[in-house]
Formats: sequence, structure tokens, C-alpha cells
Amino acid sequence: MELLEKLRQAIERGHPNEAERLACTALDSRIDPLFIVDDAMMPAMRSVGERYKNDEADILRILAAARSVRICFELIEKRRLPFAQKHIGTIILGTIEGDLHDVGKNLVAIMFRSAGFRVVDLGVDISEKKFLKAVAETPDVSIVCISSLLSTTLPEMEQTVKALRRNDPKKRYRIMVGGGAVTRQAAEQMGADAYTENCVEAAEVAKTFIV
Amino acid sequence: MYRVLFTREKKQVEVAEGTTILEAERLAGLLPDAPCGGAGTCGKCRVIVNGQTVKACRTKICEDLKVDTTAASALEDAVILTEGFSRPVAFRPGIAVHAVRLEKTVPGDKRSDWERMLKSLFDAGVPEAEHFLPDPKLASSLYERCQKGGSWYVLHTDQEILDLRSEKGNLCFAAFDIGTTTLAGYLLDAENGQVLAVESRMNPQAQYGADVIMRSDYALAHGTKELSECIQREINDMIGCLAEQADRDRRDILQVCVVGNTCMHHLFLGISPASLVHAPYTPAISQSMTFRAAQYGLSVHPKGQLFMLPNIAGYVGADTSGCLLAIRPDLKEEITLLLDIGTNGEMILGNRERLVTCSTAAGPAFEGAKIECGMRGTEGAVDHVSYENGTWHYTTIGNRPAVGLCGSGLLDLTAQLLLHGFMDENGSLESGQDDPKRFMLVPPEASGNERGVYLTQKDIREVQLAKAAIAAGIRILMQTLSVTEGDIACLYIAGAFGNYMDPISAGTIGLIPRSLTGRIKPVGNAAGEGAKIALLNAEERKRTDALTKHVEFVELAALAEFQDCFVDELEFPLS
Repeated sequence: MELLEKLRQAIERGHPNEAERLACTALDSRIDPLFIVDDAMMPAMRSVGERYKNDEADILRILAAARSVRICFELIEKRRLPFAQKHIGTIILGTIEGDLHDVGKNLVAIMFRSAGFRVVDLGVDISEKKFLKAVAETPDVSIVCISSLLSTTLPEMEQTVKALRRNDPKKRYRIMVGGGAVTRQAAEQMGADAYTENCVEAAEVAKTFIV
Repeated sequence: MYRVLFTREKKQVEVAEGTTILEAERLAGLLPDAPCGGAGTCGKCRVIVNGQTVKACRTKICEDLKVDTTAASALEDAVILTEGFSRPVAFRPGIAVHAVRLEKTVPGDKRSDWERMLKSLFDAGVPEAEHFLPDPKLASSLYERCQKGGSWYVLHTDQEILDLRSEKGNLCFAAFDIGTTTLAGYLLDAENGQVLAVESRMNPQAQYGADVIMRSDYALAHGTKELSECIQREINDMIGCLAEQADRDRRDILQVCVVGNTCMHHLFLGISPASLVHAPYTPAISQSMTFRAAQYGLSVHPKGQLFMLPNIAGYVGADTSGCLLAIRPDLKEEITLLLDIGTNGEMILGNRERLVTCSTAAGPAFEGAKIECGMRGTEGAVDHVSYENGTWHYTTIGNRPAVGLCGSGLLDLTAQLLLHGFMDENGSLESGQDDPKRFMLVPPEASGNERGVYLTQKDIREVQLAKAAIAAGIRILMQTLSVTEGDIACLYIAGAFGNYMDPISAGTIGLIPRSLTGRIKPVGNAAGEGAKIALLNAEERKRTDALTKHVEFVELAALAEFQDCFVDELEFPLS
């Protein structure tokens, strides 16, 4: 599939406009969205992540690639094409109450999706209550992931982690935290199961939680 | 208890075992620079102990010590911008002096001494004197003064009497801009508006963290008292220095105007920044305020007034209101863009019809932080770089051997690397040197330190993030107003970096739209200029509330388009 190969490369190189054009062409020529996702978008994102780990790409390239992937997802959704993607697990994700920043959270969401997860993205400024409600409404949730950029919202994050913990005596889900404000030490203190420094690591750690 | 002697400052303190050197420095009243707030990550608090350089925040005291702080002292000589570009305003200050005659009362006149004085003032041409509320302290001195008789000077505003004097005195005003990193203060002559003295300092709150978030963290955990006392003390000290420089009496300062970003504004007044640092990021107080200066620890005239200009939004503060006063884009037919580049980049776009503003987290790269060889604009900083016929040229502040890059040098170097093909539009560095991912501008042997001055791939990424934030902010504002670069008649750039940067380099890397490079006007410390204008013309000051209400605020964090713009702007423009 030459077209999908081109799309994969456009995403990898971080050219959103070209990626959009190629994804449109692919959809117009009635290629199953599942193939577009599985054979072009996911591998491209994974490869950018891999290159990031090897110090060959940086966060800027990931941002550009992620934007391309997001545009493609939006295109598919806009055309209301149903596609049955297989998921390895479900992740609930949101930026903590008091914080409106989501560049990092959105990146993590894309990396999770590319790793094969279903992502329930709650958005920004998400309270403890909203996280608990989402967990209740998502029976198959395996990971809850909370992000924060402003260190002033760490108390809210800690509270939410503790509330989620209390709410889940059977250890149905794991809790991950991250974002500019969070440190490994802070994550341990508040009792999260995992902290990662970047979105690539986040997807890798998330996979280890799925058995 | 152990004794710690700071050799350079010749100060000694006694501390308990386990106290860190950083804490001891604070106890001794020094101003340690700890932008990371003592987390041990920035290394700026380095001191020398027993011939070894250590981080003051990570070193616990367990014996008597001699500490040499020379390693961290570069802080003191930074070039802080105190010059500004002044919009001509009419000199109509909010105080007036009128001479009145006070006479003994005559039998049958039942009016009080206070009423009689107000009548004299009314007759001297001050109609609003009728409504002045009595001041018991002043009134109690009236009997004696009336007995003496003769001519007295009444110092008053349009609301109240500030003082009654036999000698007028050399009255003055003081204006301050409280920046996160730097403070600028001005003493003005209340007779003619002339600047009598200028004083700049580093903000001593830096010891509680480099940025507003860290300081807010501290304030939320420990209360605002320490932070507000710290800044009030420093401003009060600056008042003393300003008065001394100009050979004036600080008690002759009748009005003080203070501007600063929203967080600095709140912390100066001791207001909790909690609402500022939690979504949706609103100030606790926006409107302008008037107090007695003494209430906030400023020792000037006992009834001296303190004006706080209004805030516009959570991250667009009274400093931006000051910039507005200095430029008054609301009076212009033509569309202007006003850009204040600091740790946050605040900008205002528009004209008399409509004004929009936003604030972007540009980060501290252009202030020298997060850049491996980055530094503030102090001696030895490379401030300009050029490349001609295969040779690199640079200049340093104070003509000293190069020790690092300040914002304008960083900007020039990035632009030259891009122009001459050492870096592509993605910011990928190919320096052509031994390490292709590092560009050595000044080799160690030619520099003023052991490591030389260089730029790394990671530094370039920081420049890209800072540049993208500002460029994307400008684009979003243009979209909001539906205008293009061609519609913008003038770009005013405020702040120290904006003043020293080369506009062509800024256009080359796309920090500002390239087509605007010919229309840039550096306006210096526009926030401080605005504070001065508020003192020189009371009408302008009173108008700021209406002016700031008229400005529409765009919250970028909540805007999906901003993220797309931001990612697009990460690339450098092709020439």
C-alpha cells in the first residue's frame, strides 16, 4: 500500500498538512480506516517514540507528529466511519482540577492510542469527583492517568490519587501521574503506581500494566 | 549552634545543626539567588566552603563555617532596563499646593478652625475643598498655627488635605515596576515631572523561587507574609536610595505608584495568589486601588498615597496596564501590537475600536535560564553575534572576556546559524565542528571561563519553544481581530530583552512576523513608564480602570487553535 506508506512517512516527519491530504485521499479511495490507523498512523507514532528514546528525535518532532495523527483521527471521525479497532486496555486521562494545560496530556493520549489503548480523555480542570464518576462509568478501565503542569495543583492531584485509591480496594486499575509539575518523589509520596518523565515512557509503562 | 561567617559580606549568624547554607544566607539577610526554590536542581546558589564549591541549598551545616559567596555574586551587576520611551502627557498631577492665610478667629464667628481653613482654601481657588473630610491630627495643630497667623502651604489632592506646612518643601513622587526578576524605581519631581533618580535591583523574592508559580507555591504553603514583607522592605529601601541620590527628603514623597504582573501585585499587597494559579486563573482583585503608603511598609510622607494600577486578567497584570498607559493604543486609528517579552510574553493588539490581549508562557530562555551557557545581561555576556565571510564576530557587555550568552546574543546566534545553513528549519544543528550537535562560539582559551561559550541542540529546542509561544500568541490575536501582518502599523516592544534584541534576528527566527521588522519601536520599560504617567497625570491614572475593562482577554490555555499554532511555529521560517 504505497499511499499508506507515504502517510506513515508524512506523520513521522511531522508534516500535518501533507498527512491530512494523504489521509483524505486514502479515505476517498475507500481504504478501511482500520488499515489507515493500524498500518500508517500507529506505526508512525511508535517509530517517532522509538527514535525519541534513541535520542534521534525530540519533543518538537513528537508534537508535530502527534498533531498529524490527531488531524487524521478527526478526519475519520468527521466522516462517521465506524471502525472496530482492537484495544489492549482502556485508559482514563485528564488534567487535574485547577489546571487548564493540556499540550502534554494530549501527547500522552496520542501515544497511548498508538500503543493500542482505548483512551477516555476527560479534558482539563478535572476534579476528584469527575475522575471517580468516569471510573464508575468505565467498567473496563485498567489505568487512570492524571496530568499537571502547575505545581500549585499538586495538592489537588494528591487528593485525587488518594480518593481513587480508596475507591478501588480490589485494585481494578492502576494510577499514573505525570506532567511538568510532578516529580518521581512527589508521585511516590502521593501513592501513585507509576510516574514517567515523558509520553513515550508513559505508553511503555502502561503496557506493562496489561497482562 | 554553629557560627557561619560570610566572608565577602562580613556577616555572621548562629544556626542550629542541620540548617542549610541557603537558610543561613537568608538568616544573615543576604539575597541568595535560588531560582529553583532550593530544590537542588539549578545550581545557581553555589558557594565556596573550605575551598570547595557546593550548592548552598543542599549543604547542611555541622561545624563552624566560613562561606564565600563570590561564586553566586554575578547577580548583582545585571543590566536592568530603567530607560523608557515616554509618550508626551500633560503635567497634571493629582496633588496641588495652595498658600492660604490662617488668622485668629474673632468673637462671634462660630465656625471651627477646620471650616475656616477650608474656606480659605476655597477662596484660593479650590472649590472641592468644601467636601474635604476633617483630619483630627491636622485640625489639632490649627489653633497654634492660627495664633501665629501668616501664610501656610496646604498640600492636597482633590479628596483630602495631606499636609499643612510653613515651607513648601521639594515635593516628589516615586514609581515602581515590580518584575518577577527585576525591580525598577524612579523618583520624579512633583513640580515639573522630571526624573530625579533611577534605581534598579534584582527582586529579592528570587530566593523563594525563580518564577511566579514557585513563589505562589511558597505563598500557598507558608502564607504570603514572608514574600510580601521581603518585597515591601526592598521597595522601601529603594525609596531611601532614590531620595539620597537626588538629595531629597523621603518624607517629601507624596505619591507612589506601583505596577507589576498580577502575582507580584498580589504578593506586594499580601494577597493570596491562590486564584491566580488555579484554573481559570483569575486575579483576587483587578480594580485599581489607593492606600496610604505606610500601610504597606513604605516610609514616605506620613499621609503619602500608594496607587496600585488595575490588573487585566490572571496573567495580564498591572504592568501591562502600565504599558497601555505608556502607549495608549486605544487612542490610535492605526492598529498597533504591543509586546512585552519577559518570562511571560504579554501582548495587546488593536486600535480605538477594539483591543485584545493574551499572555503566553515564553519561558526564561531569553532571560538566560535553561540555556547551558545562558546568563543574564551582566558583564561578560555575549550580547551580539554576526557572521561575515566565514568568520564569527561577537561583542560582550562591558567588553569583558566572554563567559556566556544573554538573550540578545542567543537570538543573534540562532539567527546566524539558521541563515548560514548550520541549522535547518526544524532546528537540527549541524555545526560542522567536532561535535556536530554543539556550536562552539568562543573556545575555552579565548573565554573568561574554562568551558568557553557554546550553543547545544537542547538550547535550540528551548529557543524554539519560547519563540513558538510568542509567535503563536501573536497569530491568535491577529485571528481574533481578523487582521493580517500588513494591517499592523507599528510593533512596540517593551522589556529589557526587547530593547537589546536585534529586530532583524527576531524576524529571521520568526519570533515576530518578518514583515514587521521594519515597523518595530523599542519602548524600554513601558510598564514603568505607565506608572510614571499615572503620577504625572491624575486623569490618565483614573482612566486606567475604564481602559483595562475595555481590553478583551483571550485565554490561550483553553484554546485548541493555540496548540496547533504553537506546533506550527516551532519550525524556523525559511529564508
